[in-house]
This record gives sequence, structure tokens and C-alpha cells, in this order.
Amino acid sequence: MEKNKHILNNTNNDYVVEIEHLQKSFEGRMILKDINLKVKRSENVVILGKSGIGKSVLIKCIVGLIYPDKGSVKVFGKEVTPMNHKELDEMRTRVGFIFQSNALYDSMTVRENLEFPLRRNKTITNKKEINNMVYEALKNVGLSDTIDKMPAELSGGMRKRIGLARTLILKPEIILYDEPTTGLDPLTSREISKLINTIQNKYNASSIIITHDLECAKRTSNRILILQDGIFYAEGNFDDLKKNKDPFVKSFFVTV
Amino acid sequence: MKKYLNNIFNRKKHTEGKNSTDDFHEPPSGLQNFLLELGGLSRFTGNFFRELFNYPFEIKEFLKQSYRMGLSTLPLIGITAFIMGLVLTLQSRPVLVDFGAESWLPGMISVSIVREIGPVITALICAGKISSGIGAELGSMRVTEQIDAMEVSGTNPIKYLVVTRVLATTFMIPILVFYSDAIAFYGSYVAVNMHGYISLQLFITQAFDTLHYFDIIPATIKTFFFGFAIGIIGCYKGYYSNKGTEGVGRSANSAVVISSLVIFIIDLIAVQLSEIIHIFSI
Repeated sequence: MEKNKHILNNTNNDYVVEIEHLQKSFEGRMILKDINLKVKRSENVVILGKSGIGKSVLIKCIVGLIYPDKGSVKVFGKEVTPMNHKELDEMRTRVGFIFQSNALYDSMTVRENLEFPLRRNKTITNKKEINNMVYEALKNVGLSDTIDKMPAELSGGMRKRIGLARTLILKPEIILYDEPTTGLDPLTSREISKLINTIQNKYNASSIIITHDLECAKRTSNRILILQDGIFYAEGNFDDLKKNKDPFVKSFFVTV
Repeated sequence: MKKYLNNIFNRKKHTEGKNSTDDFHEPPSGLQNFLLELGGLSRFTGNFFRELFNYPFEIKEFLKQSYRMGLSTLPLIGITAFIMGLVLTLQSRPVLVDFGAESWLPGMISVSIVREIGPVITALICAGKISSGIGAELGSMRVTEQIDAMEVSGTNPIKYLVVTRVLATTFMIPILVFYSDAIAFYGSYVAVNMHGYISLQLFITQAFDTLHYFDIIPATIKTFFFGFAIGIIGCYKGYYSNKGTEGVGRSANSAVVISSLVIFIIDLIAVQLSEIIHIFSI
């Protein structure tokens, strides 16, 4: 309840993401049938669902990596589908995306990975300023000593943190996490979950977190949505959903 | 068929990098597959030319790719060209000796190297090394979501990855062909000296005496097209790679096969065109 306090108290109750009646199909198979979702400023929304159900497709629609067949996706009140390259780039500088595979550029060092979005979006040419921002981003994820390493030299958890640092360097207002704790040990998963909360508090950022990890969902969510058969089947906070009598919803919480 | 072609040509402007989720309802085969590839490649080439003149110009990345591609292929091309010049001379020599025309050897070798063998062999080596390298690199970037990450961080991947690599191959292949020709000449000079003596100066004079502008200019122009084909096909196959690591291997493989085939087609067209131009210019 404490976690939701600052959202409930948020006087500026505008929505940063608004999705209405979104539909998307692949190879004739309808993946998303009727998705409706509104995310408030500084709210952490967790989306749960089985693998291959379309969770990643949904967040890729938000940043314009995939276009919906029907429906509306608005980010900061602006429709994404008709955006041109320039508008998309502007929107994307305000939206961070943490990929499931971390998507670090493996031909670049950690420093170059972090400098890449900075140089291209912030048009900062002062080397000292860029250096400071890179160090600050790395410090935030507790990996200052990896600055000159290649991604291949890092562990899974470290790569995940570097991915986070690369996203955070542009100080996004919305962060989309695609399975942030997948493939990590419980301890590192816990650290990543803590980091997600720290980011929410520090940057006042909204997040949509896709996960199968119930502990991560419990720790990070203000609201949980369960995706099933192309629609949001259930919605609520962690405790409410855990007490839910519906057998399908119950099946998600059986291990916790 | 119409449905497939519509899918190719009507894909949205920003969705070229949208991973493996293209909306084909049935697996295409045979002629359909060929037309799909052709349509996709044409569209991809169109995207390349659209982005080519758009700001920002990725000069640093272009220079980096040119340096990498040029430097990495130098030893391979050098060794191949030396052997090519040597073997060509050793094989041709007995025939010319029979006719008492051994002194024509440098001239004959220079014409065959400059007009045909140098450009084609160099382009084929580059198709094997550079095109497959680009296909595998972009393919692995695609399957590990690095291209998507680039796109969401406000960088146009066509501009940053494709334009720079295609320009690098277009400008580096002609340079590599010149280098290859020079080394092949040296290989030929060594072969000539295995059975007698000729000074390097005389060898070069005889070799260049036989060459005309009509040998050098069309051969040079076609190498730009070879370079372009090697770059664009490697990028296309890598950029649309899917199905994980297996897909990456397949992209690299088909990049080599298709670019090698296209090199021969370009060569055929170039020979025909240069013949026609030559006839009209006389």
C-alpha cells in the first residue's frame, strides 16, 4: 500500500500510455484481440501471462517497433501509428526499453554502449559531460568498474544492469521492461527488482514490466494485469489477485 | 501471389526492422519465394537510396567499416591474386611458346587480369568474406534485438548500419581490385622469370602497352557495381534474418550465394554493354 501512495497522491493524474482496442495478428493468428490499458505517471504496471501470448508484442507496439492492425496506442497523448521518423525518435528518447536479451551492442565497450544513445539524442559534444553522465549511469546500477569491458566479458546480471544503465542515461519518463529477471538467479533477480523500484522513486518514471517472475511482480507492481487469449483477463494489485478465486488467476499465484 | 507482393510493398515505413513478424499467411515457395526476395531486395535498395542523402551522415562509421573491410581482406586477396597471376602465366606460356609469341605474354596476361579475372575473382572473394560477414553480423544483431535497441534509442538502423556498410563495400572493392591486379601482375612477372629473364620495368611496359582505356574504364566501373551488390545483399540478408542462430547461418550463406550469382550477372551485362559502347565509338 505504501508503494502506491505516491501514485494515489499524484495530483497530475494524466496517463502517459493509453491503449484502446488494440489488435494484432501474425500469420493469420490473432495474438492481441482487444487490449485496453492506461498507465499513469510514475505507476509500475506488471503484465503477467504465459509465454508466446503477446506480451512483448504489446510493449513493442508502444514504441512503434510493431504496428497494430487495429486500435489506438497513445504515448504522452500522441498517437504512435501516424508518427513520422522524427516524431518517433523524439518519443523514443522519452521512452526506455529494456530488452529480454539486454541487446547490448557487442562490438562496443560498456562505455561506448552508454555513450551511443547520448551522442545521438542529447547532442552533447562535451566529452567531460558525456563521461560524467556515463559514470553516473553506471554508478546507479553499481557497475562503475566495468566501463571499459566488452559485453561478452560480463555476467547475465551485469549485462542486465548495463542495459538498464544505457536506458536510464537518457532519463526516460516511461520504461518498458521485457522480462527483466529472466535467466537470473534469485539473488540477482531480487537486486534487479529493487533497482526497478529505485528507478521509479528516483526518476518518477512509469514502468510497464513484463515478467513471469512472481517475486519481481510482487516487489515492483502497483498494478498487475494478466494477459490471456489476447485480452486482459484480470487486473488488480498483487494481494487482490492472489486472493482471487478464479482458477486461471489462482494458477499464477500457486507457487507464492 | 498478389497478397504476398502487397505484403512486400505495403509494409509500413518504420516496420522494416520489426523482427520476424512479417504478415505472410502461408509459407511461400518456388517462384513466389523468388519474387518475394526480389521485391524485398528492391524495397530495401529503395530504402538505402532514401537514407543515403538524409542527415546525419555517418562518416565515422563509414570510415570504420571501410578500414575494417579493406584491411581484413588484404592478405587473402593478395595471396589469391599472386597465385592467380602466377598460374595464369604458367598455363598460358606453353601455348604462346608454340607460336613463338612468348613476348606477348605480359600483354595478354595484363588484358585478362584487368578486364576480367582481377575484378571477378576479387569480387567473388569479397562476396565470400565481406558479404557473409555483413550477413552474419547484422543477422546476429537482429536476433539479439540489437537492431531494435538501436531503433528505440532514436537511431535509424538503415542509416547507421546499412548505408555505411554498402558505401564501404562500393568504394573499397574497386580499391581492392586495383591492389589485386597489381599483385597478380607481380605473380605473372615471377612466373615469366621462372623460364627466362625479363626486367620488371620491361614487363610493366609490355603489360601496359597492350592496355587501352576501353580495357580499364569499363572494368573499373563494374567493380563499383560489384561492391554495391556485395554490400546490399549482405545487409539485406542479415537485416531480415530470423529464426535464431540457425537463421544467422542461413543469412550468411545465402548472402554469399546470391551475391556471387549477382556478380556474374553484372559481369555479363557489363561485358555486353562495353562491347556495344566500343562498337559505337569506333
